[in-house]
Amino acid sequence: MISWPNLVSQLFNGLALGALLALISSGLTIIYGTLGVLNLAHGAMFMIGGYAGFVAYQYTESFVLAVIAGSLFVMLLGVLMERVIIRHFYHRPHEDQLLVTFGLGICFVELVRLIFSSQSQLVPPPAMFRGITNLGFMFYPTYRLAVVGIVAIALGALFIILYRTRLGMIVRAGIEDSVMVDSLGINVYRVFMVVFGIGAMAAGFAGIVNAPVVSLTPGIGDDILVQTFVVVVIGGVGSFPGAILGGLIAGEIISVTSMFNPGYAYVMLFAVMTLVLVVRPHGLLGVQGRE
Amino acid sequence: MLKQRQFLIETLTAIGLIAAPFVLPHLGFAPNTVNRILVWGLFGLGFDILFGFTGLLSFGQSAFYGTGGFVAAYLLTRAGFSNVLGALIIGMIAAAVTGYLVGLIALRRTGIYFAMITVAIAQVFFFVEFNPLSDFTGGENGLPGVPTPSFNLGFTTVHFTNGWSLYQFIALCYFIGVIIALRIVRSPVGAILSAIRDNPLRATAVGHNIHGYKLTAFVIAAAYAGFAGGLLGVLQAFMPPDAFTFDTSGQLVMQTAIGGRSTLFGPLVGAAVWLFLQDFLQAALGLGAAWKLVLGVVFVLLVCFLRGGIIGGLADLYRLASGRRKRTEAEAEQEATDAAPTRQPAPASMQAKEVEHPAYSRPILKATGLTKRYGGLVANSDIDFSVNQGELRGIIGPNGAGKSTFFKMLTCEVAPTSGQIVFEGRDITGLKITEVCQLGLTKSYQVNQLFTGLTVRQNLTIAALAELRGKFRLDLFRKLSGIKGLAEQVEHTLALVNLTRRADTPVSELAYGEKRRLEIGLALATSPRLLLLDEPLAGMSPRERVETVKLLKLIARGRTMIIIDHDMDALFELVERITVLQEGRVLVSGTPEEIKTNAAVQEAYLGGVHGEIAA
Amino acid sequence: MTDNLIRRGLSRRSLLQTTAGLIGGSVLPAMPALAEDRPIGTYPAGVSGSTAFIGISVPRTGTYAVQGEDELKGYQLAIEHINSGHDLIKKISPKTSKGVLGKELKFGVADSAAKPNEAVQAQQRFISENKAIMITGGTSSAVAVALNKLAQREKVIFVCGISGSNDTTGKDCVRYGFRQNFFGQTAAAAIGPVMAKEFGKGKKAAYLTPDYTYGHTVTKSMQDFLATAGWTTVTNQVAPLGAPDYSSYLLNVANSGADVLINVNWGHDAVLSTQQAKQFGVLDKMKLVVPYQVPFIARETGGLMQGVYAATDYWWTLEDKFPLAKMFNEAFEKKYGYKPEWGAENAYVSFAHWARMCEQAGSFNPPDVIKAYEKGETIPSLVGDVHYRPEDHQCVRPVVIVKGKQQKDMKNKEDWYDVVEVVPGDGLMQKPDAFGCHLGDYS
Repeated sequence: MISWPNLVSQLFNGLALGALLALISSGLTIIYGTLGVLNLAHGAMFMIGGYAGFVAYQYTESFVLAVIAGSLFVMLLGVLMERVIIRHFYHRPHEDQLLVTFGLGICFVELVRLIFSSQSQLVPPPAMFRGITNLGFMFYPTYRLAVVGIVAIALGALFIILYRTRLGMIVRAGIEDSVMVDSLGINVYRVFMVVFGIGAMAAGFAGIVNAPVVSLTPGIGDDILVQTFVVVVIGGVGSFPGAILGGLIAGEIISVTSMFNPGYAYVMLFAVMTLVLVVRPHGLLGVQGRE
Repeated sequence: MLKQRQFLIETLTAIGLIAAPFVLPHLGFAPNTVNRILVWGLFGLGFDILFGFTGLLSFGQSAFYGTGGFVAAYLLTRAGFSNVLGALIIGMIAAAVTGYLVGLIALRRTGIYFAMITVAIAQVFFFVEFNPLSDFTGGENGLPGVPTPSFNLGFTTVHFTNGWSLYQFIALCYFIGVIIALRIVRSPVGAILSAIRDNPLRATAVGHNIHGYKLTAFVIAAAYAGFAGGLLGVLQAFMPPDAFTFDTSGQLVMQTAIGGRSTLFGPLVGAAVWLFLQDFLQAALGLGAAWKLVLGVVFVLLVCFLRGGIIGGLADLYRLASGRRKRTEAEAEQEATDAAPTRQPAPASMQAKEVEHPAYSRPILKATGLTKRYGGLVANSDIDFSVNQGELRGIIGPNGAGKSTFFKMLTCEVAPTSGQIVFEGRDITGLKITEVCQLGLTKSYQVNQLFTGLTVRQNLTIAALAELRGKFRLDLFRKLSGIKGLAEQVEHTLALVNLTRRADTPVSELAYGEKRRLEIGLALATSPRLLLLDEPLAGMSPRERVETVKLLKLIARGRTMIIIDHDMDALFELVERITVLQEGRVLVSGTPEEIKTNAAVQEAYLGGVHGEIAA
Repeated sequence: MTDNLIRRGLSRRSLLQTTAGLIGGSVLPAMPALAEDRPIGTYPAGVSGSTAFIGISVPRTGTYAVQGEDELKGYQLAIEHINSGHDLIKKISPKTSKGVLGKELKFGVADSAAKPNEAVQAQQRFISENKAIMITGGTSSAVAVALNKLAQREKVIFVCGISGSNDTTGKDCVRYGFRQNFFGQTAAAAIGPVMAKEFGKGKKAAYLTPDYTYGHTVTKSMQDFLATAGWTTVTNQVAPLGAPDYSSYLLNVANSGADVLINVNWGHDAVLSTQQAKQFGVLDKMKLVVPYQVPFIARETGGLMQGVYAATDYWWTLEDKFPLAKMFNEAFEKKYGYKPEWGAENAYVSFAHWARMCEQAGSFNPPDVIKAYEKGETIPSLVGDVHYRPEDHQCVRPVVIVKGKQQKDMKNKEDWYDVVEVVPGDGLMQKPDAFGCHLGDYS
């Protein structure tokens, strides 16, 4: 039995979740597409964004400053990570890249656990977005509504960077053919550093924006990481539009299944991923190329 | 690589396991910790075959660990099954079957995609365990009350209860696990798995069905995981839902990398380090929750600086200490070889594979209308080409004439856009490269495609195995030495390509010319009746060229060969007929004399790269 | 095998004694002095010195961390009191002088994170390395059930911490496990009539249920009881332990048309789901009931418990009625600086009961201690007299119904609830075999 108001509510909730997943996944996918490195510490970046914002909020009591500080911190962390460690792994086997980013992710999570303990931390939503909004068909927390808008703006900004700037051109060219970019005489490694920073920042930004919605715990990025994998596999590895499409699909699958039985939401999500893999191994919008 | 000394490792393992209860308590290991380490070690044996030996990094082993564990625990706690060992084995079989099904999906892709898919699939198992199957698995509750094993020996009943008593049972399981794993990695399948790790493309090209072997490794890993999962339940009296979490997979991966991959014992060492540090850092140093951070940092440092993990590091140290002498020996030997290159009499040519139709005298290979387009770009266009039995054919053409693409189509590495290829009267168009190689057609590559982590002998063994065993066979427990004709074929090929003295040298230490010879050797070891050689002389010094031309003449006896090269003089000396390609089409075919004087050829080269024909 | 025996402290002398004991046991079953030395579990190895060790596993991280820390304080206070022979302990266990049977209690603490796996690993270590004579743990019934089975296999007494599942002393009960606190069945039987009286008959209820034995059985008990008052279930939203977000569940609840939201979630899950229920407008549409009260939820939700009914084991204002409660509150507040919640109360009382049973048995020998419990004597607790049922090892004890105070009525910052009723335990209990309890063997 389908309750229509509930379906509409859940679809809307799925949009909110999907937008967030899309933002995080696009960070993962542009790093992978450009550098060929799958960053298993991406979930940790999401988590650190939240905590960095939390700390900034403690000092400034300003949510806007918290978002800016959180994102910048994660971007710097991403750049640092690329400079100090990741760049030594470009010419090592994929397995080693996976291992090192996986290990770094664990280090980040445990470091945060050491500093902030495992207790959950709360970041209150900004004053202007507190309370409940009556959307007519449902009540929805105002801040969650705002998150949809904020994430849409962030995705728009990423789109402009990728499709309207020289850097974006190089990145997109790199996704299609890394050898070609090498031969263009561009300092690829500088591009790599910037892309890693931007990709990490996307996750960090999502982390702090999402912080008022759920409480912060050191393990918050782990589940998100696996979900972004699914998004990226569904959408197509290395594809920015794919990440957005995949994110929205994933969000809606989770929400709509939740209407019937929330326990099956993730089972369904992974079932759809498997189906996509069987029918379109390169993802819905992916291109054959990088493996 | 594990040394092949008979039963040495088995004996040492047995001694270690027997000594452990007497030694480890003094080092601060409680029996429970030791049992736990063994369970991880057993879990890791299978994982190392998958990751260390086959090169497939799965982050989803928890799926099989949990499956085996819960099937066994369900049988023992809910289904009234009382035979612990039987339940463990059923759990293992269930995990292996699951592994097979998951492998069918996950192995559709490789590398990073494979890692992501395994993570995702393991998550499916986690959620399925918690929801649809929670009536069977207890969901969040897990399955408490798993009994310990006891065996009725007729005169007495042996009951393994806990601590060191249960250790005896788990240690025995681990020991059997080690013996099986050793047999597997020393078997032909084990050799092929290493080949897949080092160079999947070439493993396919020499005629192995690598998908089948990968799936085999995946199933083996799943079976080990399943059995270990069952043991976990027995050890704890409780089958925890945590067995299915991503953390379990992650811990296994980290322990394997810490201990050392492709060593079989790495996961055991890693688990010992992990659990010891966990206890030590928490209890002795009072670090509390920080212990995992310390482990994480250790892990990252190991991955960065010590790729072989702890065991790999120790092996390097040992080699450093004992290797200096050996190296000087090898160098001296090399010099001697260089000084007298033709000292040995040339061995007789190896017989090509028995021809299936001895009376067959028509062209061995016939291609008609071969065309290959890449998008808008036409690489080959409407090529008609035929080679007779026993012929030695050369192919020349300016750069970009489509020679390599043409070869790739002939060996079925790429499928033609249109046209037909007939080999020994059989239409091979659209077959896979592996099947074509099995039929007796293979090529050596323009850019070396060797198994770089292995020795020369191992390289040739892998190629020879394809011919002797077919593209897929599950002789997991057969010894390499038990394969009839293998040693002879490898020795013969070694002699043929003049690498006998370098047989046990790792490929990475070979000189360029030696690598080129090995490249040809790899193709030869599959005993092809039609051998395609893509620029065998490329990059060689003049002296090496002379040597190689001699080698090519030798191997041409009794087999058909097609050679691409830019070295006209060498080619004119070697071959009977030459086909000239230009801009993806056949320009002309003829004897060397005809080609030398052909106006169109002159034109093509003068208009193209003038220098090449003069060289 | 021999090695194992030696490690358990079986010297040649005791081997002879054991043999003698076995023979003596069969010939002269009434000779306890000989039978006593027969090793079982960690006995007698664990109490051969001057101390006895207790293994404690509580969640110190994760969803139930806050409640776990509180519970731990109760254990520590009880051990301190037992070792020093405090007056309160003597009220519950009159034979106690210092320690238990003259042995000083030592203890080890491990973080279970509310995960059975962690708890079992830690307790196995305590049993094998520290020769723990008694183990405790809970705050998650999944942990309690797993430890139940471990205790039975290892033959070490398990005194259960917070555990609300019917299964703990129901289908998963064991000879070696005991539970003091209230649980799904008694909670539902106590709060059901109050709800029917307050909200009326024939109401529609929505449930938020954590997906494990505690949640399943408490929800089931509530549904069964409310059905007798004509209530129906319109939706039951089952969420995993530690869910980060309840939005999809709450949307289902919001659109279900329920009159009452029964939140069975516990720990941080209860706090988060209640807060989000407010955010999604659910609490404006329907009444909230917490059938299994969560320590500190009133403080952590920042006032969302006002006017909300809950069933609990203990609330500190009962000190006006029960002198032992007053003694406990004072001792606890003096040491830790706040009023104890029911996790600490249960921890304290269950240890005090165990000490009493050991003293009565005159031995740590597990079967003797178990038999002391199984006599079913009426013994004191902080909320009046109670007894343990021999059939399922469940303590028959009252259930306290509380209602969240309006902020203006709070006399101090910890005055969160009014005690509505203290429902006597006898009428709340199911028949001993109703939940399929089979205790198993003594040895």
